[in-house]
Amino acid sequence: MEIGIQLVNELEVRISEAFCIFDHHGDKFIDTRNIGNVLRFLGCVPSENEINEIIAATESPENPGETHLPKFMAHVSTLLMNRKMEPATPEKLLSAFEILDPENKRFLTKEYFGKLMEEEAEKFSKAELENMWPVAIDPITGNIPYLFYINQLRHKTTIYDVADAIREELAANEKEKKKERSPMPQMLGL
Amino acid sequence: MLRSCVCLQRAGGGGGKRRSSSVEDASSCRSSEIERVGASMQTTTLGSNGQPQTLAPQPNTRASSLLQLFHRKGWCKHFRKPLRGMSATRVEKSIRAAIFIQKWFRRHQARQEMRKRCNWQIFQNVEYACEQDQAELYKFFNDLIKHMPQAVEAGNKCNSQRCSGLEKSGTLYEESGDLARIELEVPIQKSHIDLMIDVFRKKRGNRLHPKYVCLILREAAKSLKQMPNLWMVSTAVSQQVTICGDLHGKLDDLLVVLYKNGLPSASNPYVFNGDFVDRGKRGLEVFLLLLSLYLAFPNAVFLNRGNHEDSVMNARYGFIREVEGKYPRNHKYLLSLIDEVYRWLPLGSILNNRVLIVHGGFSDSTNLDLIKSIDRGKYVSILRPPLMDGEALDKAEWQQIFDVMWSDPQASQGCKPNQLRGAGVWFGPDTTESFLKRHRLSYVIRSHECKPNGHEFMHDNKVITIFSASNYYAIGSNKGAYMRLNNQLVPHFVQYISAASQTKELSFKQRMGIVECAALKELAVRMREHRDELEEEFQKYDPDDSGCITIAKWCFVMESVTKLGLPWRLLREKLAPGTDSQSVNYIRTLDLLDTDVIMKAEADGTSVMDALYANKASLETIFNIIDADHSGEITLDEFEKAIDLLVTHMPGVYSKDEMLEKCRMMDLNGDGKVDLNEFLEAFRLSDLHRKEQQEEYLRKRSTTKSIISQHPSDSVTKLADTISKNTVIIERDIDPTDCEAKDVEQKS
Repeated sequence: MEIGIQLVNELEVRISEAFCIFDHHGDKFIDTRNIGNVLRFLGCVPSENEINEIIAATESPENPGETHLPKFMAHVSTLLMNRKMEPATPEKLLSAFEILDPENKRFLTKEYFGKLMEEEAEKFSKAELENMWPVAIDPITGNIPYLFYINQLRHKTTIYDVADAIREELAANEKEKKKERSPMPQMLGL
Repeated sequence: MLRSCVCLQRAGGGGGKRRSSSVEDASSCRSSEIERVGASMQTTTLGSNGQPQTLAPQPNTRASSLLQLFHRKGWCKHFRKPLRGMSATRVEKSIRAAIFIQKWFRRHQARQEMRKRCNWQIFQNVEYACEQDQAELYKFFNDLIKHMPQAVEAGNKCNSQRCSGLEKSGTLYEESGDLARIELEVPIQKSHIDLMIDVFRKKRGNRLHPKYVCLILREAAKSLKQMPNLWMVSTAVSQQVTICGDLHGKLDDLLVVLYKNGLPSASNPYVFNGDFVDRGKRGLEVFLLLLSLYLAFPNAVFLNRGNHEDSVMNARYGFIREVEGKYPRNHKYLLSLIDEVYRWLPLGSILNNRVLIVHGGFSDSTNLDLIKSIDRGKYVSILRPPLMDGEALDKAEWQQIFDVMWSDPQASQGCKPNQLRGAGVWFGPDTTESFLKRHRLSYVIRSHECKPNGHEFMHDNKVITIFSASNYYAIGSNKGAYMRLNNQLVPHFVQYISAASQTKELSFKQRMGIVECAALKELAVRMREHRDELEEEFQKYDPDDSGCITIAKWCFVMESVTKLGLPWRLLREKLAPGTDSQSVNYIRTLDLLDTDVIMKAEADGTSVMDALYANKASLETIFNIIDADHSGEITLDEFEKAIDLLVTHMPGVYSKDEMLEKCRMMDLNGDGKVDLNEFLEAFRLSDLHRKEQQEEYLRKRSTTKSIISQHPSDSVTKLADTISKNTVIIERDIDPTDCEAKDVEQKS
């Protein structure tokens, strides 16, 4: 059941591709609980709060718990063009860790870090915590040498460049349209 | 000391605090569509006395947890140090840092999940695409019957051989090679079961003598014939029951279950919910063991039919090949006995009059009373019209069976035809609710779909999927599970993977690599069916013959030709290895398809065409439908009409002109009529011709490859090597203790 949806630019193509991975019936609807995954796949780094906002904004009123592609695309395109949820530099991530490591030991203990992740801010579930340990822990010391951990988390994101290009394209088109709409240069008889 | 801590005041004041995500929030990394547990479930748990109780909301304020942190870390001591600045700001900063880190990690996790999901989707979509082909046969028959209305009136000629398959005894021929030296006799008893398990476990010498295979099949068919369409299962005596889902020839998983959960007995009954064979290599052993367990413990083993208990499916998915390979001199007879068992397998079970257990599901028109009254023995294959003894074909009845065997639950409301599989429906939560109400049931247990955790709840816990074949798609792809219900029918799950030691030494990355390679292999084999079309389409977009096209065009061609609905952009790097970020070298894609590892995998499998042509019974059925007046002959006109329909449903399989020509050739006396043998001969010759053409074509292609693709690039060779290495399967003796089994924490 291929319901064709018009994709007008590269940004929409990218968003649609990520979206459709979770579209099991081919009807261009996905479960809202996968929206976080879609965004992260695109390369964004949203917080749980931001994800909930997007879910609320794009959830289908006729089919609660599901989101339809066109609405999602429109909303997320705008966000991307405004550089929302953009991953910050790895240096910033390093600073975040350094705040947690006041004695500058260049590592965090599993106990401390685990407790922080599990009980503070946008808490990790037990499953998320378990998934994190193989990535974060140095098996020999049992601690988290966070520089190493940061390098595991880095990933090249190109979506914002695409969004930029589209934004400029749209801006250029707007300019063209404005020119057309403005009245013909008046032939003023002098 | 702590009361004077500034940070505590700040924490108590609140404000600026982010809403923390709930533990059950699945928007972060979950790989499967785990249905959100109802709100009531979240706060209901089993207390220490085993009774459900509501949890009091935990006082988990920021203040209290930070307080604990301070206690432990002595942070306040730090904050007294002037160098450290304002303690409150520090806490603020730490929280912000935590969020920062959390969201970064979640992205990393999501990307890992994406890879998993991508592989999963490949496996699933390729599997369902193949099933669609099978379902086409069902649709073709429906169409044929529609266009030959006299067939409906006069009824289908009953194939007398089929009807008395049990009575006729066949001759058995000697098989070469090692046969197990055990003897079986009726009645089958536990001692025989132990012997069989010991034999089947071995990687060599694990074949029973064909006479014992016959014995088991005949006895089972005789016994099952006496049973009703729906088993009535009760926990009155046993106080519990165990339910297993799809096994698909995975004997190691069945042995794990029997090992962990014990052999069946009056106090330990089992329901096996279909799909015992196909895909796995030990389907025959699984089938024979299950039938033997049924014969040895008749009131403790309940076998439901699945959509793979069907010779048309078996032709395509490997079981027929398996039997042919194991008993080359007797497979035809054994398969006819297997058909007998299939047609008499009950269609489902009802437990304590409260729970329905069927293989697929149901639709909004499913009527259990109707299902109870069907003469199920007519449906030797579910994909072919039922045998009728002068009665008219009841399409509605046929549909009922289909829906029960092939349907899947969906999250959204409504009930619509299942496009992915091509048969049965997708049924929504509203369909479930009305179905349960109509039949006064509490919930439904079904199988049919592979799940990463071996089980899944849907529709507000009213539909439970249970899947018992671990590592179904590839090593590391999924866990299997079985469920136990107590007297109150509260479920408890046990998850496992068999041959766990094979994966224990592997790192996550290595496991991922194996699954990925297996997925690519499956995909590449499926793509080979369209190889020429792909080449044609690619070349359309490459007028300069450069070998490269844009990414967008490549994705477009892939989808429009294969129609697999896969994330092609994600797969681009794998399917066109060594390609750059701007364009795709499609020659590499084609080269990958031509590598030895892929071509060998294709040869090992069965294509749609092989399956159809080989299925004499299907062709006979076609003939019998057309030959409505049972004259034993059909006219060329009628034949032409049938071919027209066939071509509509399965384009590319038949060439109409060729078929007609063959048929005319058959009509030696020129009276414009053709009998059954001539009909079959026409197909056989057509098939022969098709095979010859294919070989000729392959020969031509290997000698006249374009200059560019004369030698596949290094990256393609490398990828082919990796696939080859990662998808090698080593046969070992089965050791059911070598499993990673674990009880699943269950809510209510």
